[in-house]
Amino acid sequence: MRVTKLVTMTALAALAGTAGLDAQEPGAGPTSAQLVEGFTDSSRWPTFSGDYSGRRHSPLTQITPENVGSLTPQWTFQSGTMARGRGFETTPLVWDGVLYVTGPNNYAWALDARTGRKFWEYRRELPDDLTYGRSAPVNRGFGMLENQLFMVTLDAHLLALDRTNGNVLWDIELADYRIGYAATMAPLVVNGKVIAGISGGEYPTKGFIDAYDPETGERDWRFYTIPSPDEPGGDTWPFTGVRERGGGGTWMTGSFDPELNLIYWGTGNPNPDYYGDDRLGDNLYTASIVALNADTGIIEWHYQFTPHDVNDWDSNHVPVQADIMWEGSPRKVVMVANRNGFFYVLDRVTGELLLGKPFTDTTWARELDDDGRPIVLNDGSQGCLPDYWGGTNFMPPSFDPVRGLFFVSARETCATFIPQKPEIEPGRNSSGGTVWVDRDQAYGALRAIDVRTGERRWQFRYPTPTMAGVMSTASGLVFAGDNEGNFMAFDAESGDNLWHYPTGWSIWGTAAITHMLDGKQHVLIPSGTNLTSFALPD
Amino acid sequence: MAHCWGKRGETLLAALALLLSTSVASAQDSLANPHEGNPGAARAGRALFETRCAECHGADAKGISGPDLTDLWAAGRSDGGVFQTIQRGVPGSIMPSSSAPDDELWAIVSYLKGISTVSPVEFATGNADEGRQMFGANCAGCHRAGRSGGRLGPDLSRITLSRSRAGLMSSIRDPSAAMRVGYRTVTVVTAEGQRIRGLKKAEDAFSIQIVDTAERLQGYLKTDLREVQNEAQSLMPPFGPDRLTDGDLDNLLRFLASLREGGDAL
Repeated sequence: MRVTKLVTMTALAALAGTAGLDAQEPGAGPTSAQLVEGFTDSSRWPTFSGDYSGRRHSPLTQITPENVGSLTPQWTFQSGTMARGRGFETTPLVWDGVLYVTGPNNYAWALDARTGRKFWEYRRELPDDLTYGRSAPVNRGFGMLENQLFMVTLDAHLLALDRTNGNVLWDIELADYRIGYAATMAPLVVNGKVIAGISGGEYPTKGFIDAYDPETGERDWRFYTIPSPDEPGGDTWPFTGVRERGGGGTWMTGSFDPELNLIYWGTGNPNPDYYGDDRLGDNLYTASIVALNADTGIIEWHYQFTPHDVNDWDSNHVPVQADIMWEGSPRKVVMVANRNGFFYVLDRVTGELLLGKPFTDTTWARELDDDGRPIVLNDGSQGCLPDYWGGTNFMPPSFDPVRGLFFVSARETCATFIPQKPEIEPGRNSSGGTVWVDRDQAYGALRAIDVRTGERRWQFRYPTPTMAGVMSTASGLVFAGDNEGNFMAFDAESGDNLWHYPTGWSIWGTAAITHMLDGKQHVLIPSGTNLTSFALPD
Repeated sequence: MAHCWGKRGETLLAALALLLSTSVASAQDSLANPHEGNPGAARAGRALFETRCAECHGADAKGISGPDLTDLWAAGRSDGGVFQTIQRGVPGSIMPSSSAPDDELWAIVSYLKGISTVSPVEFATGNADEGRQMFGANCAGCHRAGRSGGRLGPDLSRITLSRSRAGLMSSIRDPSAAMRVGYRTVTVVTAEGQRIRGLKKAEDAFSIQIVDTAERLQGYLKTDLREVQNEAQSLMPPFGPDRLTDGDLDNLLRFLASLREGGDAL
């Protein structure tokens, strides 16, 4: 060979010598250790909820209740793509001045956090016979590890993209989309594994949680949310042939406790959604939270919020962790404000139920029995029930550990469920009925819940039920949104509205993030086709 | 099924009339271009492209408000995939669906493929194994081939699909002669005098976005910079005959061409 290594080295040296490089290695971070550190570096938002706790509570304090009134837009990014009725549902990740953003129809971008301008754009070519992915062509964000970004797709694949240029590094199938599967959640990277969930509970699908090798895309483990007949919980599906298509999707990102090495994940509705006569029993582990060993995927404990759900009350919520004093003793807990209208506090080591109390005016049940099961007062025959989108939904809540307050967007609705036995066929929706919603009685509210008592501390009422998530900050602010498109800031103590900005489209299924950049705290909110960054004026 | 495309010298109108009269009922199912290799189809497709697509994608198909269509095959797209995109549009975007007859759409596919792809015959000479070693020693620091390589320069895994032998040789011998958008050299000088060199990815009146030579995405406000220097020299060093003989180049291009045939990557 004529070209020697010396020449190669010379060429590379010529490249590097003019670069003015600092000490950081190419493609540096986030490492697994940096993901565990979470918010340690205030310029970063490295994982879906900001850190593994699921709290979506930032330590930043530059923007305060006193100055938030002068918060000003810095830039707007327009995606150029739209999902019918639903736009951005993503949580951007922030790393070293760059935003990594997914959008509807499996677009994705790397953006300059100072200006919103594009470094690169990615668009997946999707098949034209999508099933669930056609009805909700959304995406909720990337997972990130070192130089790789991980994204799920509407045709139920998991991709690794190169963080520098958006090139696809590998592409694997999670499940066959033609049956009814799709994927929309933001992957969670833990212990050097990419954790991904699946959508499609309105079709004859079977939910699972997967772990993949980030380098190769090979699957490490899979946990099915519906057990086999010989496994614990298998007897909650007494009818044969049902469990293979029993639903239990896993379409929202979970949280992770590195010390316990447990992943907490919510599961979706059983299928058919509304018609339950051919799936009698509790239908574990649907409408539940499961705690899985992060290395093996083996279930440690579970709690089912809605046994034998017939109202499409998925439990696909972000499980929120806290270490609190409980009846005089320190307790590691995980909290869920559920679509069934109850707020729950569970011991996250054992799964023991500590508190279960309505945070909405639900008529379905008002109490739990000694076994933690709801005492159902109204199966629908006593008048309206919360609608199929529930007392809240997948939009992230937040938790302020200093104030002990859990902030959640509540939905007060009234609906009549009309079940009907569906035809079960791969690729065909099998919701099993319809729902009439009385919109005249519906409204929404941002509510602050005292986690030690489950009591409501304050609320701010919206004219219609909202699907916007929540973020809070250590300075005593709560950022939320409404169905009318307002992005708002509230006083965490009093619930007073301190600022609002009309974004022009419903804030739907997503929540704000915040990070420092050039000495200024930025707050970002996705809405419709736009992603807007706010900061205080100079 | 016989297809009677207009021959060279016949009028475009006649070609279009024949296009419209030709039935390709099974084309969508098989997703194979029924007019593969027919130059008449490509000529008719060009006319259709110019009237229906060029406003957004440019007369040369290299993109204006819509994306560059000349790198579709190099990006791994198939004939059938491009056909489907034209037929059903891109959901959620300005790209509309089309109700035009399949033959017209396949003609557009033929045209685009014709201007986007290069025959493997151009890369038939050389030794791929030696070329692989050469790539690893000279190119892999900045370019990807298969599953490994650098990120600063373009991924070359499918480059021989879209770039001619002459074009690639020119880019290797004299990379500064033609630098693609997104790969143009820029040096930004900070207020403190630090010089940061990289490739320009985007720029407006107030800011610039680059990938620096450490492969980091970096955005700058121009108010924070002393200067933005657009450079005429590519970051890629020239590989003249003193570094790579024509034989070396043969081997290198043969290796890259082998990747499109499923050959061993790095």
